[in-house]
Amino acid sequence: MFAYYLQLGLRSLRRNPALTALMVIAIGFGVAASMTTYAVFRAVSGDPIPWKSGQLFVPQIDSWGPGQGRQAGDLPDALSYTDAMALMRAHVAHRQTVIYPVGLSLIPTGQTAKPIAAHGYATYTDFFSMFDVPFLYGSSWPVSDDTGRGNAVVITRKLNQRLFGGADSVGKVINLDGSDYRVSGVIRDWNPKPRFFDVANGSGFGGEADFYMPFTRAIDLQIGTDGNNNCTKVAAAGWDGWLHSSCVWIAYWVELPTAAAVARYRDYLKGYAADQRKSGRFDWTPAVRLSDVSQWLNLQHVVPPETRVSMLISLGFLVVCLVNTIGLLLAKFMRRAPEIGVRRALGASRREIYKQFLLEAAAVGLAGGVLGLLLTGVGMLGVGLVFEADVARLAHMNLSLVMLTVLVAVVATLLAALYPTWRAASVQPAWQLKSN
Amino acid sequence: MQIKPILTALRHHKAGTVLIVVQIALTLAIVCNALFIIHQRVAQLSQPSGLEEANLIRIQNQWVGKADDKAYGSLMATDLATLRRLPGVADAYATNSVPLSGGGWSMSLRLKADQSAPSAQTAIYFSDDHTLSTLGLKLVAGRNFRADDIRPMSAKDDLLHPAVIIVTRTLADKLFPTSTAVGKTVYLANHVSTIIGVVERMQTPWLGMSWGSAASTLVPFRLLTDGTNYVIRTQPGQLDRVRRSAPEALFAQNRMRVIPDQHGVETFRQIRADAYASDRGMAILMAVICVMLLAITAAGIVGLTSFWVGQRRKQIGVRRALGATRGDILSYFLTENLLIGMGGVLLGIALAIGLNLWMVTRFEMQHLSLWYVLAGAVALLLLGQGAVLAPALRASRVPPVEATRSV
Amino acid sequence: MLKMTHLSKVYRTEVVETYALRDFNIDVKEGEFVAVTGPSGSGKTTFLTIAGLLETFSGGEYHLDGIEVSNLNDNARSKIRNEKIGFIFQAFNLIPDLNVFDNIEVPLRYRGMKGAERKQRIMESLERVGLVSRAKHYPAELSGGQQQRVAIARALAGGPRLLLADEPTGNLDTQMARSVLELIEDIHRDGATIVMVTHDPELAARAQRNVHIIDGQVVDLAEEPRFHTHADAAAQTHP
Repeated sequence: MFAYYLQLGLRSLRRNPALTALMVIAIGFGVAASMTTYAVFRAVSGDPIPWKSGQLFVPQIDSWGPGQGRQAGDLPDALSYTDAMALMRAHVAHRQTVIYPVGLSLIPTGQTAKPIAAHGYATYTDFFSMFDVPFLYGSSWPVSDDTGRGNAVVITRKLNQRLFGGADSVGKVINLDGSDYRVSGVIRDWNPKPRFFDVANGSGFGGEADFYMPFTRAIDLQIGTDGNNNCTKVAAAGWDGWLHSSCVWIAYWVELPTAAAVARYRDYLKGYAADQRKSGRFDWTPAVRLSDVSQWLNLQHVVPPETRVSMLISLGFLVVCLVNTIGLLLAKFMRRAPEIGVRRALGASRREIYKQFLLEAAAVGLAGGVLGLLLTGVGMLGVGLVFEADVARLAHMNLSLVMLTVLVAVVATLLAALYPTWRAASVQPAWQLKSN
Repeated sequence: MQIKPILTALRHHKAGTVLIVVQIALTLAIVCNALFIIHQRVAQLSQPSGLEEANLIRIQNQWVGKADDKAYGSLMATDLATLRRLPGVADAYATNSVPLSGGGWSMSLRLKADQSAPSAQTAIYFSDDHTLSTLGLKLVAGRNFRADDIRPMSAKDDLLHPAVIIVTRTLADKLFPTSTAVGKTVYLANHVSTIIGVVERMQTPWLGMSWGSAASTLVPFRLLTDGTNYVIRTQPGQLDRVRRSAPEALFAQNRMRVIPDQHGVETFRQIRADAYASDRGMAILMAVICVMLLAITAAGIVGLTSFWVGQRRKQIGVRRALGATRGDILSYFLTENLLIGMGGVLLGIALAIGLNLWMVTRFEMQHLSLWYVLAGAVALLLLGQGAVLAPALRASRVPPVEATRSV
Repeated sequence: MLKMTHLSKVYRTEVVETYALRDFNIDVKEGEFVAVTGPSGSGKTTFLTIAGLLETFSGGEYHLDGIEVSNLNDNARSKIRNEKIGFIFQAFNLIPDLNVFDNIEVPLRYRGMKGAERKQRIMESLERVGLVSRAKHYPAELSGGQQQRVAIARALAGGPRLLLADEPTGNLDTQMARSVLELIEDIHRDGATIVMVTHDPELAARAQRNVHIIDGQVVDLAEEPRFHTHADAAAQTHP
């Protein structure tokens, strides 16, 4: 019967091409608008490290105190050098690291080649194991480089390609802003979306970094942050003045594998905060907060409000398209009340009528889905007009989006068809036949 | 035209009527809010920057290799001399940031040294005596910086303590609402500065700052650090030429520098486009959705009304046979649509306001102006009348003889 | 074959209750050809739609082929309609979107019959009504008489035991009406039970038994029922 109903459905749809086209267009546009905005939303709201996002945490400490024009609970989104170093020294977590972005110039060996800008992060060696960074060659630097301010560097595959033609470059030397660094490892392409460990600087969806270097070495060389540096009071002049000021500019991450470890770390943070007051550094008890990856991304508003609002409006648009489809299907089905009467008289049960008309609706939905797919493709080309380039680049068609588009179209149309089909199945055959 | 018989007839098409009412209501709710978003975004992106934008270029320059801060001073002076000599260049200066670029400095201002809460927050632009002429800023009071006002400032060793500053009118009015700002003193951090001039307008580097988008201060310093921005004003028509020749001239002069491939050399037009990309995008998206929504709703009304006309051909024939004129039939359908439309619009007004209130709490939107709702309501009623016109005309052309036909 | 006892049908609206049938009794034996007559509005058509399980009734009993049908669900009723009953309507009621072949196929499809068998049955019944050459035509391309013959072919294709006809010749001219009636008599000869509603006395005269309905009740007009042999009926039409 499936083939028979499909054939009947297609024939019926061909009989009113304008009405059919209208329904298909409505569903196609509704689904395409929703799917395009959903693709963007999905791209920016995904979990960047799903297997571990519940074990990675960011501590925050209110090192600024009350009365800075901020709202309650609005803690600085980075740590000061003083607090970051205290936490590193305490070494309470399973793994921990500080991170801050640096921008250096890479000086090529040739005399004619121009220097190139290179972006990287200053961090500890735990960074790579905490975030499961995949290595192509070599490994991260040894702990001795953290403590001994070693001149190690981990470079990315992209930079390795540019400098060494993709060969294993472990042990080779590169020059950044006049200082030499020895390559300890080359990592594979790795750029989590969003770049959760550095969302306080920029959108979180930028291009991949070029290198990673020991934090202690960067401080030694007095390399300032390439990211935000927020201060309440003007720092004393000079590098040391800045390091020991209230300025916050360092991201801090800890790995806490168990609930007990989380609880212990939370207690430690509270204790640390209380000690700061006792020691007279602050005249308030600093509030503290410990957030896992998803809490942190929420806190930092990583999903731009535009993506939510536009998805919402698009869904509203889809609902209107569906209401429209309900009306048109109702008109289309009820116009065939006499046919339904005849079919019922000839032995069609209500269930058969349901099958026939739902299948016809599913065909409309499928056609709408295919149109929606094409329009979603067009929409993907257009997202660059609507969203920031970094975000728009992430939205793309893949198999799951293709399937979802068609599925949403068919399911939505079937939902829209429920009422009209119920009306069709409720047609009283006797009335239809008598009225003639 | 009597309304009561129409309402009675509509009770026979309850489902269809309800569907059109709901569709109109949802359309109104979404279109009102979408138009409102468009309005906000367009208002945002049509703010003037205060600059004469047409012939401006910004070059982001990064010195390579660690040099003594003092050395940057002479490097920058040489670069500026190179740029100002370049054919097609009208003027140039070096700064930390330009309006709309998204990154810069901000500081708080106090009127008294011991004041606890700051009087205002301001963007800080490092400037020199060429800044006003390069950017085309209009001086509305006081004077410009003189060459001898300009001091070097090392990013690592010095604190910001300008003796004289120029502020925007927005900031001047905020600090001194009742009197002239020129000659007054303010405290930047802990140092006293005298306002010597007021420019008409200059936006900050950031959009959507709570303290205002045009509270800016020009300080007469050359910031000595490894990264700087050169801003160039070209002669009219020379923009493209200078865009290519300026970085070439800089590299020819000294190769130990980086000008990034991306955003390294940009016209102000590009900076503006980047800054407002999401605003413009939102406005475009909302406009596209509004147009599609209205089209789908109109098409839905055409479809359902056509169906009703088809269903009622015989009835229409009877009416015509009983003496109804074409005009009567036409106005019957128009009135019917108007009644349905009014039902939809009333429900839609409630929905539009509800949706807006919800978005206000969820997405920090502003409150919807009632004019939008009313304009949207009228627009949808007109849309409905327009959509129903074709089927209604077809109905009015049903001949009276239809009454006698069976089946 | 068809037995109704004390059957009633009430139409309720907000204001009134109207009895379409009231204490309605009828017993049609297997193989009978019964004509049901009566003034318009008397309940003839209501009787026919209830008999054909197109409508439910309000009270009483209805046995169809020995089965009490009042408690059957929609699926079971549909199955009975499909397998045991054939309908012929005054307005033909062909599905305009389907051609002749596809129209006749409809009941066979609902029976779940295989394609080859469907085709055979369709061609057989088309042959019987003499319209094999019109199999690919659409209803709108046929005359009224041809359309009714297609409708009969559709009713026949399923091999119904009970044929219900509602004014089958009402929309046809005399010539066409005659050929349609001959077809119905032909079907009767093959053993089907026929119940035909008509207001045409001449048509009614050709049935074995006449049942007259007035105000929703059977009125027994015939003290001595006029039984006609098939030969008689044929002799009357072709003197």
